[in-house]
Parts: sequence; C-alpha cells; structure tokens
Amino acid sequence: MTTKRLTTCALLTAIALTIFVAEAQIPLPFPMPGMKLGLANVVTVYAMFALGPKDTFLILLSRILLGSLFAGGSTLFYSLAGGLCCYLSMVLLRRFLSPKQLWVCGAVGAIFHNLGQMGAAILIARTPQLIYYLPVLLALGIPAGGFTGLAAQLLKERLGDRVP
Amino acid sequence: MKQRSNRFWLWLLGALMVLSGAIAFWVFTRTAAGTTAVVTLDGREVCRVDLATLTEGYTVSYTGEGGITNVVEFAPGGVRVREADCPDQVCVRQGWIKTGVAPIVCLPNRLTIKITDGQPGQLDGLVR
Repeated sequence: MTTKRLTTCALLTAIALTIFVAEAQIPLPFPMPGMKLGLANVVTVYAMFALGPKDTFLILLSRILLGSLFAGGSTLFYSLAGGLCCYLSMVLLRRFLSPKQLWVCGAVGAIFHNLGQMGAAILIARTPQLIYYLPVLLALGIPAGGFTGLAAQLLKERLGDRVP
Repeated sequence: MKQRSNRFWLWLLGALMVLSGAIAFWVFTRTAAGTTAVVTLDGREVCRVDLATLTEGYTVSYTGEGGITNVVEFAPGGVRVREADCPDQVCVRQGWIKTGVAPIVCLPNRLTIKITDGQPGQLDGLVR
C-alpha cells in the first residue's frame, strides 16, 4: 500500500465517520429499532467503485470500529454483522453494474445490511420476534439506500477517475 | 449474468419495496396470542408477568452488561419502557405495548419486551 493509497483510505474513513456521527444527531421520525438513514454508506459505495473491494473493506471496518466508540451501548456486533453482509453483497454485485447503476448497489447494500443486522440482533437478544420489524425496515431501507447510492454515483461522475 | 438495465433494477427493487411494505402493514395489524409480558436482557429471560392479572402498575430497572439502564413499567393491560439512559431512546418512544406482536427493543442495552401467551415457546426451549 502506497502512502497515497493509505492517505486516501484515511481521508474517506474520516469522512464516513463524520457523516456517521452527524447522522446520529438526526432524530428518527418514528421509533423503529435499527432504523437509520445510512448516509455513511455513500462513502462505502463510492469506495467500492473508485478504489475496489480491498480498500473499501479497510475503510468500512475502520469506520464501524471507530463509530461504535461514538455510538454508545453494545451496538458494535449489529453494525459489524450488517456492514459485512452489505459489503459481501456489494462485492458480488459490483461487476454486474454499470457506472450509472451505483444507486442499485446502495439499495441492495441496504437490504443486506438490514438482513445481517437483524440476524445479529435476533441471536444476541434471543428474541425471534424481532423479525417482525424486518419488512418495515426493508420497505424504508430500499429507497434510503437507493438515494445514498445515487449520491455516491453523482460523486463518482463529478470526480471521474481521479481518486481524491 | 450480464448487466441489466436501470428499468430492470427499478422494477425489481420497487416490487421488493412494495412487498415489504404490504407485509409490514399486515404484521402491525396483527395481535399477540396472549397477555404475558416477557422481558429479555442480554439474551436471557429475566421476567415474565401476566398483565391481565395485574391490579396496579409497578416499575423495575434493568441494567445490562453494557451499563445501560431501562426502567420498565408494568401496568394492567400494558408494558412500556418509562425511561432509559441509552443514546437513541427508541425503546422509550415506542411507548406502551398491549396486544401487538412487535416487541419493544433497546438495541444498545440488548433488552426486549414481548407479549406472548405465557407458554414457554418451542424456540425458547431450543435456545436453552
């Protein structure tokens, strides 16, 4: 890893972490466990297409580990499970998407983030009834993920192949 | 698999969204099979109360391994988290649950409250 690559990853991690912390201050319109906008995913989707899976993994992992320090409570395992599922789905989907379809990556990533997070929550809390929240989380998460993906797509179009 | 058009993805994701929305609507209009509130903390059941037999309300504080405390209020016919020192306050804002199937959840404290029929379920038995 060159110094430039390392700096780019560090910069994107810092941006993702800032978005993550800022987003936590936005109150939810209605109480729904596990629901969030997922704006930090803009960085994940962008990195996946601009830098590739390896760097994206490092950025995502760093953001989740550092983010859990700011979030409070025992939320690390939910984020980790959600983040890894989301990451894997994006890695598999990546090659089937054109540069005009990053929004799809955001939406599908959101679906798998919710699946992973829900799996972790059911195992940790030993409460299978949590699954009742999955449909509403998916119904809201798909458009939210689509928009964060679209934001990443527009960012990629503006920056072109120049990596910051 | 080859690359698909934007239209393909829009229809696929749109259909998934509508389907999820329909299932969500169905779930939230269902009612639970009983009147027993079951509190789970850090994956272990810590309390089981039949809300139908309560004559007056009371509160119990639960502190999880993460050091967060939820004050749970049991009352005739309903249960809620009255206050909590978790960062997101989702559990408090969920308010009273009476007959719904969706449990109250405090993800940061790993606390859940659900309404059941009072019989230890098969899943509970399997987990133990």
